[in-house]
Amino acid sequence: MSLFIRLCEKNTRIILTKIPNVTASFATTAKPVDIESTEFRVLNLKSKKVENTRKKTRRVEVPPPRANQMAVDQDWPSVWPGPKTFHPAVVPIPIRQGYSLRDQPPPDKYGNTELMKIPNFLHLSPPAVQRHCEALKKFCTEWPVGLETEDKCRKHFPLEVITSDYCYSSPTIREPLSRIVTLRVKLSSLSLNAHAKDKILRLVKDKYSPETDFITITADRCPTKKQNLEYAEYLLTALFHESWRVEDWESEKAEADMEYYDWDKNKSRTNLLTLHAWPNSPTDTDWECIPHVEEYKIAVSDLFNTGEDLHTVNKYKEAVKNVLNLKCEA
Amino acid sequence: MVFYTQSLLRRITSGHVRMFGTALEAIKVPEEPPQTFRTIENNPANHTIDHMNRFYTIAPEIQKQLFQHGGLTKFFQKQVKTFAECSILIRQPAIEIISYIRQSDYSKPPNKYVLYGEFGVGKSTTLVHLIHYAFATRKILIHVPWAQNWFSRPRETANSIVHEGNIDLPIDAAAWLVHFKNQNHYLLSELDLRVTKDYAWSHRETTSNGTPLLEMINFGINRIKFASEIINVLINELKEASRDGKCSTMVAIDGYNAFFSEYSAIRDDNKKVVPPSRVSLTHAFLNITKSDWCNGIIVVAVDILATKDRRESYLPRFLLNKEGFEHMDPFLPVHVKNYTTDEFEIIAEYYKNRKWIRDISKQGLRELQLLSQNNPYKFMEYCTPL
Repeated sequence: MSLFIRLCEKNTRIILTKIPNVTASFATTAKPVDIESTEFRVLNLKSKKVENTRKKTRRVEVPPPRANQMAVDQDWPSVWPGPKTFHPAVVPIPIRQGYSLRDQPPPDKYGNTELMKIPNFLHLSPPAVQRHCEALKKFCTEWPVGLETEDKCRKHFPLEVITSDYCYSSPTIREPLSRIVTLRVKLSSLSLNAHAKDKILRLVKDKYSPETDFITITADRCPTKKQNLEYAEYLLTALFHESWRVEDWESEKAEADMEYYDWDKNKSRTNLLTLHAWPNSPTDTDWECIPHVEEYKIAVSDLFNTGEDLHTVNKYKEAVKNVLNLKCEA
Repeated sequence: MVFYTQSLLRRITSGHVRMFGTALEAIKVPEEPPQTFRTIENNPANHTIDHMNRFYTIAPEIQKQLFQHGGLTKFFQKQVKTFAECSILIRQPAIEIISYIRQSDYSKPPNKYVLYGEFGVGKSTTLVHLIHYAFATRKILIHVPWAQNWFSRPRETANSIVHEGNIDLPIDAAAWLVHFKNQNHYLLSELDLRVTKDYAWSHRETTSNGTPLLEMINFGINRIKFASEIINVLINELKEASRDGKCSTMVAIDGYNAFFSEYSAIRDDNKKVVPPSRVSLTHAFLNITKSDWCNGIIVVAVDILATKDRRESYLPRFLLNKEGFEHMDPFLPVHVKNYTTDEFEIIAEYYKNRKWIRDISKQGLRELQLLSQNNPYKFMEYCTPL
């Protein structure tokens, strides 16, 4: 064999390929093999592709959806006892959810990720809630006497604290929004005189809603709920006491600084007094005994305070007619 | 021969015809159907609710005496000329005020009536009716046809001699005195109103106690330099006379809110705007609308057009502003509204009678009504080409 290799090295490769039998004869000479028993071995220079016989995966037997066998009067809370992601085979309702293709209904419940994404309240069916309540009942105390209606509650507890709690499964249970505290109180439930009421309204500005009569204070500057609540309470206390305080400079408030029309301090009152006392000079003492003066006062104040429209002008006209003792004949 | 006669006839002038010809006999015109839209009661002193929605006519000589120098609106004046009669529809606001005037207590300060309403509803015409009423009931008339004129079109300005910083409008003041005299000269001479104090206008010119008011007015018309001050004095004298019961006075001012406006075309020596509050005429007419006299009536009309700076609403408090409201308060706001359907029908009938509209179907009339939204001025305008 070594001789043959040497020969090959000396000769060209073409010669070798041309005379395969020669080479073979040489080989036989080198190592005598029984020719009859074995065939020539084939040198496969181009390897033939071997068909890959795949490993067949064994299919898991999936039983038919459980929902198909459910009884109509089954006990649902025991089928779905707690919060759980939606499962199509357990929920016996033909729900569909998601974006529908053209001329097609929305995808049905099987393999529907849209249904699995959204939180469900299947564990909070009315009987489940009722059972919860029944179970909790033994821990409850009696409802306090005297707070039977909403109005009574509001009367005895005028302060409303509104907070939000958040509950979900995430690495942290803190929710930044839960720190916000809103305090609501009706202006009428605070004991204020006219001056204090005016002042508190100037201080709270838009935090007072004239439609609902609520003063709303929202605190969110502190990191925890407790701190915010305390801060809001502090603000309300400060507002209340500040509005009762009368500063020295408040006495300097002139007519031009008035935010509303005060008939008692205006010229309209002097005009009426002059008219009534004519031809004597007006006296300030008994203006209340002038007939219809109250109606007139309200009409003039309305004309300025609620704005002028045909209604207030007519009201003013009627009041003036009464004051001047005139009757419309036409 | 024929030719000769013709040429001769041609040569005869119309004067000859008038001189020698005999007048044609009057052709008998068939009598008109009775005019249900009119009332024969032409004296507004007798007007009551029964006369409402009827036309009455102001006699030409009275019209000339009262409104020669203004008072009728421009459009109404044109209509008066076209129709050859000054007929006014008796409307609810006028009747209402007349009824108030009849009931009011004249020992108290004058009641004030403020006419208000949108443009063209007939505020000024209502005022005309009331002025005629006052004339018929022998009241001294203090009538300002359109106060805005003094501030938007002043004819001459001069610094006031009496009040430092004020501006006089001599020509306008004298023109008003002429208007006043024209309206009141019969009554003034009849009542024999006299000046109660001595007034010295200059070194030589004085008005002494006891001079007739007419004389002072004439003096003001001749010496227009003092006209503004004479108006001031005249108004004080009239207030005094009314208070003493010598006369009763009616104040009628159209465009009254012009006095409380900030706008004016008057400039002072430094070319700065002089607001109406610094014009001496304003002082005089604000003085007469105060409540410090009695035996009088004050009727004013507020109008959007009387101001240039406040035009958002036609309601009286807005137009008068707070200052004006306090000046007038307590006053009776009287809303002059658009025509009611009844009034519209009467007006349409009147226009038909005056041949202002002809051959109009019922449907066409309805269309006009909807188009004009019952607004008197608009209706008049829309009827013009018909």
